[in-house]
Amino acid sequence: MPTLYFNLEDWSLILKINLILSLIFSCIALFFVSLVLYLRIRKNIKESHRKHLEARFIDFVNAFLFDETINKSKALGDFKYSYIKSSYDHKILIKQILIFDENLKGESSLLIKEIFYGLGLYKFLLEDLQGYRWYYKARAMFAFSKLGIEVPENYVYPLLQSKRVELRQHAILYFLNTSKTDPLVFLDNLEGRLTLWQQVLIENSLKSFEVEIPDFARWLDHHEDSIVVFCIKMILSFNQFQNIPLLVDCLDHDAEEVRYQAIQSLQTMEVSEALQLMLTHFPEETAQNKRSILYAIKKMGTYKDLQTLVPHIHKEDENLQVDFYKISRCFEDQIPVKSLLNIETLSKDWEDFQEYSMQQSIGA
Amino acid sequence: MSKRILVIEDNPMVVKSLEFKLKKDGYTVVLAEDGRVAMQLLKDQEFDLVLTDLMLPFVNGNEIIEHIKNVNQEVPIIVLSTSTQEDIITDAFEMGVDDFITKPFSPSELSLRVKRTLAK
Repeated sequence: MPTLYFNLEDWSLILKINLILSLIFSCIALFFVSLVLYLRIRKNIKESHRKHLEARFIDFVNAFLFDETINKSKALGDFKYSYIKSSYDHKILIKQILIFDENLKGESSLLIKEIFYGLGLYKFLLEDLQGYRWYYKARAMFAFSKLGIEVPENYVYPLLQSKRVELRQHAILYFLNTSKTDPLVFLDNLEGRLTLWQQVLIENSLKSFEVEIPDFARWLDHHEDSIVVFCIKMILSFNQFQNIPLLVDCLDHDAEEVRYQAIQSLQTMEVSEALQLMLTHFPEETAQNKRSILYAIKKMGTYKDLQTLVPHIHKEDENLQVDFYKISRCFEDQIPVKSLLNIETLSKDWEDFQEYSMQQSIGA
Repeated sequence: MSKRILVIEDNPMVVKSLEFKLKKDGYTVVLAEDGRVAMQLLKDQEFDLVLTDLMLPFVNGNEIIEHIKNVNQEVPIIVLSTSTQEDIITDAFEMGVDDFITKPFSPSELSLRVKRTLAK
């Protein structure tokens, strides 16, 4: 019977390389299989721990809420020292607290906050706020604002200037949820741009929360244009008619977007007194604002107001001239062009209209 | 004998709270975590009151209410739902529910409403 005997020295180089590569790849494969198995087992252990802790916590909270016979401070201490061992445990409990708070109100809601403080979750989240990871801070802000729990202002104000939009958003939400008297106080300290999404968020919050609506004139001279734009929208949205003179002043603002919003709001509020100022500004305005002024004339002006723009309209681009024409038609049926939007007669119509406008401008 | 209440709710936290509170008040509580289980329990057992959510897996709350009203008009029903939309609430009352509680709810208030509904 032949004996199995391998003498590596007898092997050719290519076989030796093959052997070494096979061993390396086997080791790599084994490592990855072990890693996947390890991660899977770890995940299962964590998951089972989570379920166990959640079940214990739900029982504990229900006993705390509804069982008058238990010693509450002792129960809190016992639970804290028996079950809360790691930051993962804290996270599980915070999530459960938020679910409880979302579903219960009245006295139970107050007791849930007592549990939140008693188990050290407030302290845990405050440490997260002091940390450097933005997602920990965002999570802490989210929890505080959901629960309506106030934290020292020096923790929150820096977040309003954060580079991360998520953090700024959560800081805004925090102020809206926790402040009962001045929910927009954060606007005083906001340095960066207020995005459209944030504007929608604030408006919806103001409409759904039971808070007193502030006077938006307070921020009309804010250095950040997006905040001024937002305030102009809110003056309209909440019918703060007492601020109309200040909106008229905004027609002289340096920022185009502010002037645009002022024109839009004044038009919707039908402040015809502002029309004269709009007409005066027309030659210096941007194309978008000129268009807005045209539509403001349509809504609250006269054909005579529109005619004052004839000397300027010829210098404008064709789109604006078309708008001018369309609005003219709303006032004056005699304009010789009937169907400028009809593609078959467009060129002829356009020439007719330009000729008509020219004659108007020279007073023919 | 204590009154039997069927609680149909898919949120485990709410289920536990309701079970705890209602048992504390002296009722016998039977739980159903989805509409299918609830339908089976309604076929097999009798209840003095049904407390149900509207958004449920497999069979929704409206179908359960309809089924109860077809089988036994007498069983009082209380709806516990996150919905605050007027049309959903009026639809529920038109179907014959006795009370409608919106989430977030106060357990003490719920307890009183259950007591009042059972006393009718």
